[in-house]
Amino acid sequence: MISRRTGLLVLPGLALLLAGFLVPSAAMLLAPPGVSPADILARLGQMLTDPYDLTIIWRTVRLGLIVTLICLVLGFPIAYLLARSTSRWSGVLLALAIFPLLLSNVVRTFGWLVVLGSNGAIGQLLLALGLVDQAPQLLYTELAIVLGLTQLFLPLAIISCYSAVAQVDPGLDDAARGLGASRTRTFWGIVAPLSGPGIVVAATLVFAGSATAYTTPYLLGGSSQRMLSTQLFSYSSVSIDWAAASATALIMTVLVFVVSGLSSLAARRGRTS
Amino acid sequence: MNTRRPVAATLAVAGYVIMIVPILFVVATSFTGGSTLRFPPEGLSLRWFDAAVHHTPFITAMVSSLQLAALATVLALLLGIPATLAIHRGRLPGKGLVEGLFLSPLIVPELVVGLALFQQLMIGLRLDNFTVLLIGHTVLMLPYAVRVTGASLALADPFVEEAARGLGASPLRTFFTVTLPLLRPGIFSAALLSFVTSFNNVPLSLLLQSRDFRTLPVTMLDYVQQSYDPMVAATSTIILAGTVLVAVVAERTVGFARIFGGINR
Repeated sequence: MISRRTGLLVLPGLALLLAGFLVPSAAMLLAPPGVSPADILARLGQMLTDPYDLTIIWRTVRLGLIVTLICLVLGFPIAYLLARSTSRWSGVLLALAIFPLLLSNVVRTFGWLVVLGSNGAIGQLLLALGLVDQAPQLLYTELAIVLGLTQLFLPLAIISCYSAVAQVDPGLDDAARGLGASRTRTFWGIVAPLSGPGIVVAATLVFAGSATAYTTPYLLGGSSQRMLSTQLFSYSSVSIDWAAASATALIMTVLVFVVSGLSSLAARRGRTS
Repeated sequence: MNTRRPVAATLAVAGYVIMIVPILFVVATSFTGGSTLRFPPEGLSLRWFDAAVHHTPFITAMVSSLQLAALATVLALLLGIPATLAIHRGRLPGKGLVEGLFLSPLIVPELVVGLALFQQLMIGLRLDNFTVLLIGHTVLMLPYAVRVTGASLALADPFVEEAARGLGASPLRTFFTVTLPLLRPGIFSAALLSFVTSFNNVPLSLLLQSRDFRTLPVTMLDYVQQSYDPMVAATSTIILAGTVLVAVVAERTVGFARIFGGINR
């Protein structure tokens, strides 16, 4: 199949990418209808100094970091136990961890409305136990967003960590244990450093996903806990403020690019050292 | 799961609870006899399933979403497989850059792409929203087609193809009788992943709605925001059942875990 003409097969796909993705994205970010690049820069400067806009940017970054941390702390042990387990249940548990990725985000997020809502499971349980007089406000809080995002992105963290841990030869664990290292020391001395690049990938995927997710902050954060994504939507469909929409889109895109760039840098340094 | 590692086991259980329990609550509330979304459910009935399957906006949107997902998947494969072939087997200048371009839709936030297509194609060029949705979803699925089939292609021995050519088969015949069968598991994985991703998509589709063509997840989102009844729970349970079916088919054919991130067991 190696022929000069085979290379031409790339053209139709490339054409679609240009017309249906790259050109519209560049046009939207730099020159939306009736807006000059200077207007966007001015709006960007305003956002980066305005206290309300800064709260939203900071909330997006902060919740993204918190969710990333939680997903690693919960996801790595799951990946580790599954990769090292010889039980016949581990296949089922792995499938159970991956399955949510196939399920609609709306369906998964909707579950938290049932759990956290004022007539929801937690509130009713606390009332029934007589611990509170009225159901606590759990919905439309940052906690709700963090729970919802953790649910969405934990499977991604598990998969990335799993591939990483599975590549570490279990013989190394046995060798360290045989030489007298404790279970904890074996973990931190062998498994954690060797699966480092996989953990970096997991962190990047989770952060990029949670900093740009829409469904979760929309359903669980409501209008009181705005994030960049919900803000972007209201600029582009409610108030139709193209300059503000482009500025917000720029902030989101740059945020994701910077984090991806940092992580590939970290992965490269990890390989060479 | 593992009693010798109590900390890890506790964290793992917490992780599973967060991933799975909310879904179980959705299923439980969908069978309620009451008229509000409360837990524990009041009585047992199928009334909300009945309401869901008779709610025209949901049914229409479900059909639309299925059509869009099927078309976008086919289109992404039709454009993505030849491109993968060109990248891996052809003489292509700037191979790395081209492959990077095909994967780039994964990095840009979907909401941003959605805004770009809404503003530039729907408003700017006055394309109808179905066309724009199809373009957007196909772009979004291209990385799957390129990456997943690329992985199968990298594993396939190019000498088998060369042998076929040496024995006198035309390039086209070599592709259909040698290369394509080697790629089949990869293509199937990519198709499944694309279909499900497209069907479930919210951020890209969010702004690309019209009265004539609406997708199901966005329609459900709008409904939840307005009324707080268990009909969405029933619809969710139906979607869950469909997704389980897809997962079982995936497990029986390629192996469920292999579809994602090349996990081999």
